[in-house]
Amino acid sequence: MDTVTLIQTLLNSVVASSIYALVAVGLALAFGVMKMANFAHGEFFMVGAYCVYVLYALVGLPFPLAVILAIPIVALFGLVAERLIFRPTRKNILAGFMATAGLAFILQVLAGQIWGVGIAKSIPTPYMGAADVGDATIGWQRLIVIPCAFAMLLALRFFLYRVKLGKALRACAQDPEIAALQGIRTNRMTALAMALAGASAGLAGALMAPIHSVTPYMGHGVILIAFVVVIVGGMASIEGAILAAVILGFIHTFVTTVTDNLIATMVGVGFMALTLIVRPQGLLGRERA
Amino acid sequence: MLLELEDVSVRYRKIEAVKGISIGVGEGEIVTLIGANGAGKSTTLRAISGLERLSGGEIRLEGKRIDGSSPERIAGLGIAHVPEGRRVFPMMTVRENLEMGAYLRKDGDALRADFEDVFRRFPRLQERANQLAGTLSGGEQQMLAMGRALMSRPNVILMDEPSLGLSPIMCREIARIIRALHTEKRTIVLVEQNARLALALAQKGYVMETGRIVLEGPASDLRENDKVQHTYLGVA
Ligand SMILES: Nc1ncnc2c1ncn2[C@@H]1O[C@H](COP(=O)(O)OP(=O)(O)O)[C@@H](O)[C@H]1O
Ligand SMILES: [Mg+2]
Repeated sequence: MDTVTLIQTLLNSVVASSIYALVAVGLALAFGVMKMANFAHGEFFMVGAYCVYVLYALVGLPFPLAVILAIPIVALFGLVAERLIFRPTRKNILAGFMATAGLAFILQVLAGQIWGVGIAKSIPTPYMGAADVGDATIGWQRLIVIPCAFAMLLALRFFLYRVKLGKALRACAQDPEIAALQGIRTNRMTALAMALAGASAGLAGALMAPIHSVTPYMGHGVILIAFVVVIVGGMASIEGAILAAVILGFIHTFVTTVTDNLIATMVGVGFMALTLIVRPQGLLGRERA
Repeated sequence: MLLELEDVSVRYRKIEAVKGISIGVGEGEIVTLIGANGAGKSTTLRAISGLERLSGGEIRLEGKRIDGSSPERIAGLGIAHVPEGRRVFPMMTVRENLEMGAYLRKDGDALRADFEDVFRRFPRLQERANQLAGTLSGGEQQMLAMGRALMSRPNVILMDEPSLGLSPIMCREIARIIRALHTEKRTIVLVEQNARLALALAQKGYVMETGRIVLEGPASDLRENDKVQHTYLGVA
């Protein structure tokens, strides 16, 4: 690999890591509070991308505005999903699995019915041109993913560690019964977790819309990687998810550059298996008492 | 009576863990509930704070029924629960744990004073204020669980086996803290397997066996009772 390719691949790795982190953080957060794996999380990503397709490509709003609007819209999807699907099935693992997998299916079919299946939606690139980094170049459209993801993750961190409501969310994830004894309403916290999960996955999808093919099924590829990231990081750990996102973002991008996507996915899953052998609770996961 | 349980029953699917018990707790009193493992003591406390549903009877706080309310609401009514096994939030700092105890409070200035009050009571917690609660020793975690309860400015504090698994020195420390709370006219329901400790602290006691109250009376009488001495105080 020559220097130019190396720099190029490094930059692409950071972009991939940013997106993985955005998607995985929401999945880990929702799992932490609800102890339910949300199989429809990839569809939140897809809905985020469709928000940009509709608001920017069809309606003609400015791209940044479309991206910002995608955040509350997909957060609302998270809220509604929590109220109608997750809350009623929380006590039953199998029902929870069926319900979230069902939701994924419904959202895919819905997107397909409204905007069609078949060829991917073409979204005009809002930011043309590329930045020169040494001898390598990277499109602005990719580059802006990095600061946007960073800002979102920092905001999330601030909320969880500095704001009372965010601390209550962490308390609820650690021990819901004891949190209730402090007066924290569990149902509010699960709703909040799902809204945040929707917001971050929605932002990821919105940012990726111009550089990823927008189809009703685009959530599939993302959800597999997100699960790998969350398992490697340690199911409910936010910091673990971010660390694992960076590691897997680099692994995936480098292996894809050298070989192809399929092998990269296999290497990623292999890395997960290896992590689980060495540290069954994940990189930053907590051992169960 | 500040807190009254009347004919309270609780069942877990097949077994009835609490079978129609009545308990009265007066303001400023320490009332203890003693009994062997599995007698139904924790279940009784969990029923008071709304973690378990009653299958019969009622629970009143200042004459108003609270059974059937959610734990969040009951916490808001001024009942704090120091759970069995301490159960601090392990991945939160000592200070954050205390903040969670004060979750429902909106009085900012008084809150600051209460942080200082808890740190004065438990100097060890102040030293470790920014440490994760999961890294504390058992005794420190017990202090944190008690401090967390105090942060809500409760009218009634339920304590489930605060001495469990602690060294004799730490047990004495916990006893000293409970005594101090009593001199401040706090109302406490103390559940203990360590009957000697509990009867030394309380004014009134109830002895539970397999979900029923088999003996009750002033703590001083229970201390002299033959059956209590044999079964719970290990006097030959
Ligand atoms: N969550 C539960 N599900 C089923 N049975 C329980 C549960 N918790 C306690 N029990 C049973 O209820 C009875 C009383 O338990 P508990 O109130 O914990 O007793 P104590 O605190 O006096 O040791 C015991 O027989 C115990 O096995
Ligand atoms: Mg018990």
